[in-house]
Amino acid sequence: MRFPALSHLLRYLAAVGLMAVTTAAFVAAGRALTPPLVALLYLLPVGLSAAVWGLGPGIASALSGFLTFNYFFIEPYHTLTVHRPSDLIMLVVFLIVAVVISQLVGSAQSGLAEAQAREREATRLYELSVALGGWHDERSIAGILARHFQTTFHAEHVELSVTTEGLFTLQQPAESAPPTRPPELSVSIQAARGVLGDIRLWRAGPPPTSAERRLLRTFASQGALALERAWLAQAESRARVLEESDRLKTAILSSVSHELRTPLSTIKAAISSLRSEEVGWDSGARADLIAAIDEESDHLNFLVGNLLDMSRLESGALQPQRGWNILSEIVGSVLQRMRRLTEQHQIEVDLPDDLPMAPVDYVQMEQVFSNLLSNSLKYAPAGTLIRIEARIQPDTSLIVQVSNQGPPVPEEHLDRIFDKFYRITAAERVSGIGLGLSICKGIVEAHGGRIWAENHEGGFAFKFTLPLDWDGAQPPPPPVEMV
Amino acid sequence: MSNPPHILVIDDEPQILRALRTILTEKQFKVTTASRGEEGLSLAAANVPDVVILDLGLPDMDGIEVCARLREWTQCPIIVLSVREGEKDKVAALDKGADDYLTKPFGIQELLARVRVALRHASRAQGAQEATVQAGPLSIDLAWHVVTRGGEEVKLTATEFKLLAYLAANRGRVLTHRSILTQVWGPADADHTEYVRVYIRQLRRKLEADPERPEYIITEPGVGYRFLADE
Repeated sequence: MRFPALSHLLRYLAAVGLMAVTTAAFVAAGRALTPPLVALLYLLPVGLSAAVWGLGPGIASALSGFLTFNYFFIEPYHTLTVHRPSDLIMLVVFLIVAVVISQLVGSAQSGLAEAQAREREATRLYELSVALGGWHDERSIAGILARHFQTTFHAEHVELSVTTEGLFTLQQPAESAPPTRPPELSVSIQAARGVLGDIRLWRAGPPPTSAERRLLRTFASQGALALERAWLAQAESRARVLEESDRLKTAILSSVSHELRTPLSTIKAAISSLRSEEVGWDSGARADLIAAIDEESDHLNFLVGNLLDMSRLESGALQPQRGWNILSEIVGSVLQRMRRLTEQHQIEVDLPDDLPMAPVDYVQMEQVFSNLLSNSLKYAPAGTLIRIEARIQPDTSLIVQVSNQGPPVPEEHLDRIFDKFYRITAAERVSGIGLGLSICKGIVEAHGGRIWAENHEGGFAFKFTLPLDWDGAQPPPPPVEMV
Repeated sequence: MSNPPHILVIDDEPQILRALRTILTEKQFKVTTASRGEEGLSLAAANVPDVVILDLGLPDMDGIEVCARLREWTQCPIIVLSVREGEKDKVAALDKGADDYLTKPFGIQELLARVRVALRHASRAQGAQEATVQAGPLSIDLAWHVVTRGGEEVKLTATEFKLLAYLAANRGRVLTHRSILTQVWGPADADHTEYVRVYIRQLRRKLEADPERPEYIITEPGVGYRFLADE
């Protein structure tokens, strides 16, 4: 409830004015009205004033009625003296009745006003709590609080500071600086775990009423609750993420230690037998053992590389360093590097000469091909054919396929083989951490492409797309130069 | 060049230092080791090495900075060591004046080959250039601009020859995309890696037995190219 001080005085003036008008009407009516009738009629403006303007004006009206009644209608007229005891009784009774009426009406009236004010408060509070419900981030909550503070308290400016971990200050209206004078109102946001922040309001005009101060505190504690709830929700999701990553770490550790131990065992066995001098210097066994050490240390390096890639992929650090590249060069250098591993299989490469250049990260694409290839080599039986081919699609992207004649993968696994640490076969049967394909997926998606797997007649294929458009640029045309 | 050649190894891992010291000493090199950048720089200043082997991941300062500071006063060959995912650092070090790189873990044969190439290149830089480079059936006459394969002349365009000549003159050494582009096309085209890709493909088609599995023009992933010639 807000009434300027002037209207307070006005209400008294209005009450007295009403009494004056009534008196004038009675005087005009002259002696036709007997004093008892006048006394009765005088109760009307008194009741009316109390009902409309409240208790104080009602009493003022009663007192002025008492005086004018005595002055104009009790003999001797135009004096405030009373001669007859009956008139005196009439006057006193009038005064008592008038005061009692105005008190009753006035207090009923102010009770109503207070109830209305409380209802408005409750509505504001309800609106605020509805608006705050469902938000779990501190900034949104602070924004809503600031807006509601501004409208509810008619503030010209609201500044809200949150002093939890993510320290920030918010202005309402947004993007405006607070006035230079000190704020008229301020309240701190106090929650169970301490002060979460504070709110400062600037508004010209009268100081806040006690009801407003109460509402301010209630608003602040609503805000505190919402912020507390957000904090708890965040803490909970953090805990869930931690739990999940803990589970993943355990999976990594067990898988990795198993995987790392295998080549290490080979290396250790080979080296210890070489040192034991049981193996002759020129024997074939010696060469075999040395080759095994070499291969297994390469394998270890490959495993560690995959782990590092995975962690970089996870942390978002695997941003492709794009450049216009020739796919056949990438595939060629992968095949060159994997020469020894591919000896048991037939490899066929079908990359048309007129294939446009692709905007890819050379090293990452090498990684994709070598992972897809080593996966194919692992599952496809020796002596079978592995094909690498690429075509341009109507939507000007490339589709690349690495197919093999290995066993089909059950349909329900086709999507999941790109998940981390996912393996269809039992760990003992096929080596690998289960990271190769998820790295491929990460890299292809970072290039704006898509990767999937399909069973086809007599085999299995990995397919992926690569957009040829690089931030709007198209592949450069081949240069023309005469010999 | 001092005899035996003096190699300075700067690496913070004691195991690597131990292994390299043992192996290189065995191979008749004089070996000095440092485990920090500053230490390496002052050792190099005190006794100028014939080759520096520099790990890019040093604890006290950036390996690239060590490279740059060495280059302020000496042209002695620098071979940088880096990890697989350090392509950017490798390229930065090469562009800052390093001569070659090796990715950890590396085979000792590779390292020795790099050292030999570096030493030869350094001595060549002082003496006269050989006019003809041999690589298997390929013969590249740098003076007369003639390339033959198994005795038959191979027709190359002007740019193709320029590229091949640059690679051949630096045989055995890695050349970054940037250095190739600057040398063959000019500094204005230093970022057009695709030029190199296209011309390398053309050269391979004309010179290699199997262009998809090249034996002489080798891709160094993410870094550049290397021309392998006969020793």
